[in-house]
Amino acid sequence: MPSPMEQHLQPTAFFIRGASPLARLAFYAIVSIVLMGVDARLHYLVEIRQGISVALHPLEVAARAPVDAYNYISEYIHTQTTLVAENRALREKALQDSENLQRFNTLQAENAHMRSLLNATPTLPQPARLGEIIHSGRDPFSRKIIVNLGARHGITPGQAVIDEWGVVGQVTAVYPLSSEVTLVSDNDLAVPVQVERSGLRAITGKNGNNNSIGLPFLPVNVDIQPGDKLVTSGIDGVYPAGLAVCKVAAIDRKSDAPFARIDCTPAAGIGIHRQVLLIPPAENMPPLLVPPKPADKTAAKSKPGKKPHAPRKP
Amino acid sequence: MRRANLKSVWLTLLAAYVLYLLPWEGYGLLLRPDFVLLALLYWMLRAPRLCNLGTAWVMGLLIDVASGSYFGQHALAYSCAAFFAIQYHRRLVLFNSMQQTGHVFLLLLVSQIVLLVIKLMSGNEAPGWDYFLSSISGVVLWQALVIARVIVAENRSSA
Repeated sequence: MPSPMEQHLQPTAFFIRGASPLARLAFYAIVSIVLMGVDARLHYLVEIRQGISVALHPLEVAARAPVDAYNYISEYIHTQTTLVAENRALREKALQDSENLQRFNTLQAENAHMRSLLNATPTLPQPARLGEIIHSGRDPFSRKIIVNLGARHGITPGQAVIDEWGVVGQVTAVYPLSSEVTLVSDNDLAVPVQVERSGLRAITGKNGNNNSIGLPFLPVNVDIQPGDKLVTSGIDGVYPAGLAVCKVAAIDRKSDAPFARIDCTPAAGIGIHRQVLLIPPAENMPPLLVPPKPADKTAAKSKPGKKPHAPRKP
Repeated sequence: MRRANLKSVWLTLLAAYVLYLLPWEGYGLLLRPDFVLLALLYWMLRAPRLCNLGTAWVMGLLIDVASGSYFGQHALAYSCAAFFAIQYHRRLVLFNSMQQTGHVFLLLLVSQIVLLVIKLMSGNEAPGWDYFLSSISGVVLWQALVIARVIVAENRSSA
């Protein structure tokens, strides 16, 4: 029996016109590698990527439509008992939260008073934006989610993203209509943390594959116990201090290794929620140092040139 | 035999791309076959003059945009798979159905291994062996489509 592929094969030209496959492969491989380098190191392709992503937006919406419809319908035909149970749970939670909130208001007033006594700059209340998770990242190598707020909603790269239990991650790429959030459990994201019990500062990193967070480069005799809560230290200017990041799950102290191996489980319910909060960077922090773009350089050059002329005026 | 035309090639690729854009999560993401590469391989084996290395490269770039990875990663992986598909194209007529399936499996693996090497070189953590599940599900999908085509063709000839 002839195979199905055979029946549909079209005869190719026996004498190949144009470049040989190997030459084409070499050409495309070199272009790909150059593109990778330019994209990874020089960041020249951000605008092009944004443009293409806007052009592809309708396709994405079309692809998402059936899934959204399914979610909507399954939500619509929720039974009344589940709704009542959920309502009761939410009421209880609101009651507990309101107690905390009352204390928080007093503390905030007290804090403002203290700050005015110290002549410190007041911390401004910062509006957080509620974003909805559109889908998780398509690349199985990294842990990312895509949120439905983008540059058009005033989102900037570097914003912290949290949920009701703790830090979810950080905005790493902003597209016009959506933005990409790298999760705390991603290997590339480092969060400055502090052990709540002892006040010890550390930085997360070296995250494992199975949704865990690592604490690298801490000595073997470090004062950390399983069950310790790690909160943000706030010294980076990205995350407000005191947000839960993770909980220490296991510590492996080997006397022959220079560092202890510490594994933590994230505090935020990354796989559970559909909504996250995007909070702007703290405003009383000096701006982060960003390498100037070529356009900025010319502006910087022209400014000092102008300055000497200014005093002549009087 | 119907002749393949350029429009059907691009429509199939577009459909495969939309399948890729579906919000896959968890095990779905692990098991997600590489629809675009399967469509590319199909057309490369059937009509290599309409779909060749350049097509694979362009589709790879589009996948890079959608997945948020650096430009050129998927493009390079797809180009390598396409190269082997075209290089061994003439040998394909000698293969039976199972051998063709094995051939497609190897091509899917080539693309995944190239992508793995690129990702590891750019500092990603090595994924587990379940990373290669996508190739297996891809070849299962391929075989299912081949069987479906045979059934359709038999129905047509008997009717």
